[in-house]
Amino acid sequence: MSALVGQNGLSKWAFPAAGAGLIALASMAEPRLGVVLAVWLGAWALNILLSRYAEAAAIRLLVPVIFGLTLLAIWEVTVRLYEISPIILPAPSQIAQAFAANTDVLWADFKQTILKGALSGYLMGCGLAFLTALAVDRSNFLQRGLLPVGNFIAALPIVGTAPILVMWFGFGWQSKAAVVVAMVFFPMLVNTVSGLKSTGAMQRDLMHTYAASYGQSLIKLRLMNALPFIFNGLKICTTLALIGAIVAEFFGSPTVGMGFRIKIEVGRLAMDMVWAEITVAALAGSGFYGLMALIEKRLTFWHPSQRRH
Amino acid sequence: MKKLLSTAMALGLTTGAAVAQDEVTLQLQWVTQSQFAGYYVALENGYYDAENLDVTILPGGPDIAPPQVLAGGGADVMLNWMPSALAARERGLPVVNIAQPFVRSGLMLTCWGDVGIAEPADLAGHTVAHWFFGNEYPFLSWMSQLGIPTDGSEGGVTLLQAGFNVDPLLQRQADCISTMTYNEYWQIIDAGISPDELVTFKYEDYGVATLEDGIWALEENLSDPAFVDKMTRFVRASMQGWAWAAENPDDAAMIVLDYDETGAQTEEHQLRMMGEIALLVEGGDGSLDPEAYARTVATLLAGGSDPVISAEPEGAFTNAITEAALGN
Repeated sequence: MSALVGQNGLSKWAFPAAGAGLIALASMAEPRLGVVLAVWLGAWALNILLSRYAEAAAIRLLVPVIFGLTLLAIWEVTVRLYEISPIILPAPSQIAQAFAANTDVLWADFKQTILKGALSGYLMGCGLAFLTALAVDRSNFLQRGLLPVGNFIAALPIVGTAPILVMWFGFGWQSKAAVVVAMVFFPMLVNTVSGLKSTGAMQRDLMHTYAASYGQSLIKLRLMNALPFIFNGLKICTTLALIGAIVAEFFGSPTVGMGFRIKIEVGRLAMDMVWAEITVAALAGSGFYGLMALIEKRLTFWHPSQRRH
Repeated sequence: MKKLLSTAMALGLTTGAAVAQDEVTLQLQWVTQSQFAGYYVALENGYYDAENLDVTILPGGPDIAPPQVLAGGGADVMLNWMPSALAARERGLPVVNIAQPFVRSGLMLTCWGDVGIAEPADLAGHTVAHWFFGNEYPFLSWMSQLGIPTDGSEGGVTLLQAGFNVDPLLQRQADCISTMTYNEYWQIIDAGISPDELVTFKYEDYGVATLEDGIWALEENLSDPAFVDKMTRFVRASMQGWAWAAENPDDAAMIVLDYDETGAQTEEHQLRMMGEIALLVEGGDGSLDPEAYARTVATLLAGGSDPVISAEPEGAFTNAITEAALGN
């Protein structure tokens, strides 16, 4: 009995003791490392305590937030203590300052790259791929002809296509949208085609016995079944669209846009501004993806993957 | 006795060379081409060896910012245009010009002759394609001195960020494009355009030229006598290379071609480039001309609402190394 208590006591105190020991050891060798470790282990301990002793929904939200803040804190502390040059890596606080001071520039870049370039290319590319998938599904001839072509387009490297498309469609957002179309077309096409094939023979036979027309069975059965696949494609394409629109600006652009800004601010060594643009891209990408996931949840509530456990 | 001593010293030097040469890494600001002939000549002809230096030359490229390489410890010394180096200095990377082999600027603005541009003031309302990545500063300064807005507002210049080729001009997506006397201008000519069809403005002719291709090192290193000594020998050998390259442009271009690992450069282009480069280094001995420096700084400070640098830089150049290098 007493041995059991002892064991419990050991496991309870082992973690803090080991942590404190590690911090002390690191501080002796390198005081700055000790501080960084203390921040990390302290936040870790806090999260363990929170998750062990509280079960509320708010806590479940708090734990990942603390984790994120810890990463930022470690970043900030490391940059400051080790006096890392802002040209190599600016501190999060510097990035936040650059972000706050340049919201007008960032907004103009966001409009140019995300709203004009990425979004229009996304809509055109995914829409075109969807219609092509319907045609491919209908005709075996097209399936054998168009899928390899789609594959071929997807295999073209963006560094090769972007300069050519800039030459064809000019320096504005149109050429960026064209790059995005080329990037999103194939993943969307392949996903939609396999989605349309996902119905079983029994289901199709059932529709047939109902004397359903092609259109009826497409809309009422096959498209419904294809939705999880289609949303897979749509979600993959959100990030592809952002990458395409930003990278395409490296090869020619007006003097506005996220890719343009990243490129010139690297040249000016204003890395805080580069990181601010990266932040915008990350937020926009997550938001875009999240929006798609949300719509998917609403439309495919019947699918096993959406069930709550 | 004196002779004996110098022999002993020479012996010591040579054995020292065999044991350990001082390592110097030079970051170029563009790919291997005749623009950097002096350094390749010094390497090939053994001028660096003679100074007991083991020099590594790192070629640059479209996405390499030499100041960043210097800050990251990837190189001891870099070549950079003064506008970009001074901007880096103001951004918190204290770089110092230790030598200036290029005495003239090769930067130009080349326009179609048929779009109604006869003088720089006519640029208003036209489209100009320019490289960015730190190379746009001289143009922005020039436009702001002329009172022509570049932010896309009415009556200003519409700026395009172009890649490092002349396609935007050839495709007539832009009326003007930035060119170097030794590179892009000839790409236009090679595309079959006659010089008569073009109007070209040289920055040198309009008093807005900024110094290009200087040798820069980190300020903190310059307090170390050993580093200063190393740089003195590096500058001396490099200027020897430039002198040889200017006298033997054809041979120098061939040396550059040998060092071009990408194999992308052609003999004709490099020979022609070397001829133009020789004009830019002609008459210079490596020391920075204070007047040219002052003009560069004035041009950059006059950048209007968005100047390249906001305050007169202090300690951004030193003549100590060139004086020591050229004094002996």
